[in-house]
Amino acid sequence: MLFSIMRNEWRTLLAERSLPAIGLLLALTIGYGIYNGQAWVSFMRESLAATQAEYAERTQKLQSDFLAYEAGSKKPVGFSDPRGASAVGGTSAVPYVALTPGPLAALSVGQSDLYPYYFKLSLRSKYLTLSNDEIENPVNLLSGRFDLAFVIVYLYPLLILALTYNLLSSEHEQGTLAMTLANPVTLKTLMAAKVLTRGLALTVLSLAILVVAIFGLTLTGNGVAWRLALWAVVMLVYGAFWFVLAVGINALGRNSSANALLLAGCWLCFALLVPALLNLASTAMYPVPSRVEMIQAMRNAGKEAQQRGSQTLARYFEDHPELAPAGGGRPDFASLSTAAQQEVDRQIQPILYRYEQQVSAQQILVDRFCYLSPAVLTQQALNDLAGTGIGAYRHFNQQADRFLKTWQDYFFPLIFARKLFVSAELASLPRYVEVPEPGSDIVRRVLLSLAGILVPTLVLTVWAIRRLNRYRLAA
Amino acid sequence: MLEAVELSKSYGAHQALHRLNLRIDPGEVYCLLGANGAGKTTTINLFLNFVEPTSGTATVNGLDVTKQALESKRHLAYIPETVMLYKNLTGLENLEYFAALSGLPAYSQAELLGFLQEAGLQAEAAHRRIGGYSKGMRQKVGISIALAKKAKALLLDEPTSGLDPKASNEFSELLKRLSDRGVAILMATHDLFRAKESGTRVGMMKHGRLMESLSTSDIGHADLEQLYLRHMHD
Ligand SMILES: Nc1ncnc2c1ncn2[C@@H]1O[C@H](COP(=O)(O)OP(=O)(O)OP(=O)(O)O)[C@@H](O)[C@H]1O
Ligand SMILES: [Mg+2]
Repeated sequence: MLFSIMRNEWRTLLAERSLPAIGLLLALTIGYGIYNGQAWVSFMRESLAATQAEYAERTQKLQSDFLAYEAGSKKPVGFSDPRGASAVGGTSAVPYVALTPGPLAALSVGQSDLYPYYFKLSLRSKYLTLSNDEIENPVNLLSGRFDLAFVIVYLYPLLILALTYNLLSSEHEQGTLAMTLANPVTLKTLMAAKVLTRGLALTVLSLAILVVAIFGLTLTGNGVAWRLALWAVVMLVYGAFWFVLAVGINALGRNSSANALLLAGCWLCFALLVPALLNLASTAMYPVPSRVEMIQAMRNAGKEAQQRGSQTLARYFEDHPELAPAGGGRPDFASLSTAAQQEVDRQIQPILYRYEQQVSAQQILVDRFCYLSPAVLTQQALNDLAGTGIGAYRHFNQQADRFLKTWQDYFFPLIFARKLFVSAELASLPRYVEVPEPGSDIVRRVLLSLAGILVPTLVLTVWAIRRLNRYRLAA
Repeated sequence: MLEAVELSKSYGAHQALHRLNLRIDPGEVYCLLGANGAGKTTTINLFLNFVEPTSGTATVNGLDVTKQALESKRHLAYIPETVMLYKNLTGLENLEYFAALSGLPAYSQAELLGFLQEAGLQAEAAHRRIGGYSKGMRQKVGISIALAKKAKALLLDEPTSGLDPKASNEFSELLKRLSDRGVAILMATHDLFRAKESGTRVGMMKHGRLMESLSTSDIGHADLEQLYLRHMHD
């Protein structure tokens, strides 16, 4: 019975010629989305390669300079000695700390165009190395970039709704429903067959297009297979949500235009309104300190630290007695300025702390209310799988902070000890080793998002079946 | 085969059908007459379980249509005033689909074409889209669906309205053949002439009440009209 109805549905779908149009639209948007994402990832990879090249060139030159100093063929020149720990650890030998794009990064740009994905290290706080106003606007739930995730989160539901908004109402309006229900078939079976036919057609179509499109990407890296598999599951469950919603709305027994209006309203609410309101609420309730505020605080702290000069250093040594040089004597410029910089960093610490507090408060709010919208959950799950979500950046930032600490702890005592490096030591400076976020963390978050979509889908299914049972033809 | 016992239907305060008692045996053709809004369509919709009765029961082949909704529909075929089908599919495809819905084993292409032919559809039309069919042609596909379903009871709601006299006559012939095979037929109609011609019994309905029920062999054309007008007058 189910199969007979599905075959008939398939025939009418083919006869309506809507499938080829939908297929074409899907192919174009998916193709363009992947192209866009790929372009962005290529840009990121090139930027990272450029930083690596710059680092390699810089350290090579440093090495040859040092060799020249040691051979006596060149004199160290400059305001402060280039062999000093302050010069080496503060500028000439600083490495980059980078988040390498994951294997599926091209499929979802996610937060990667909002957050910095690499830092050039210094001995200062890492926020100070950022340009312009990157410190603000940390929570952006749905990115505006036209990537594959965008196609899935926004356009895919629209296609589903175009295929389903009149699933039942059109049968009613055409009069075919009466002819059908004069047979031993329930409305539930009829709707199940209709949904299955369209769902299968759309899934097969989009998966086929995806496979072809992704084939051209040559995805590499670890976890490509499970990431892609979960990606498909997320898509499937998200699609199921919209299908079931359309069935439920149809089961209300209104006409096709009312259904279209209601479903368009739902789409607007889930895909645009909820994320916009969440963004608004999180930034209004937990505003982050502005860039201007931080610059102001830095200036004041800087001025003060400079005016006090050696006083600052003395106080710094009081706080860090282990760093005080044994011999005493007149402090050199490097010690003075490092102490002054540390004082500035210490004074702006409350602002940075407040910034991080506010950001995590925003994140908690979003984590709690993202379950209001399957669109937000889907975007988050896809970002997580692509390695471009908030989680990936949180992980990266922790790593960057940890390495900065290692770097500082290595150099500060050497600066105050007025250490001069020799060429042989340059190779054994602390190195940054990127540790990718554990796959289990990603899977756990994705499963949580999936559950958040699955639960309302199941609730909607029960509700829709109830409505269908109560549906009366001649109401 | 078709039986209504104290069958009533109210829409709010409005009583569309009031305590209908009716029994149609195999081979009988019962024609339901009555003015617009008398309750004819309501009666048919109750047998189809399209609307729920307020009280009373409707049974098909002894099956309560509300309690054994699916089972009772195995024995029913339905032809509304205008048979609505899938416009983008051919007559044959429509028939194939609705025949499959009846739950019977699948028919061969030749058998399906046979049903269409028996219903009087020209052979070349079977492969054309329904969208281009006339009302009469669609009606014939509707009949072929009923034939394919091998239903024991047939519910017809003004099936001949809008058909030309020849098509209407052919339709009566078909009904006769079906009733000869033992199909019980309930037909709502405004056509007194057809009712007398093809019906074995006629019933007159007014404001949801069955006023009179008589055998067509007991009454002439003219008397039937007189009786009808008398009932509808007061
Ligand atoms: N869904 C409904 N809601 C309210 N009243 C209804 C509904 N369906 C039918 N009725 C009322 O029930 C009464 C009987 O209607 P019904 O359709 O059975 O008449 P009928 O005999 O088939 O008329 P016609 O000859 O015009 O087809 C009418 O008064 C009609 O207004
Ligand atoms: Mg009627």
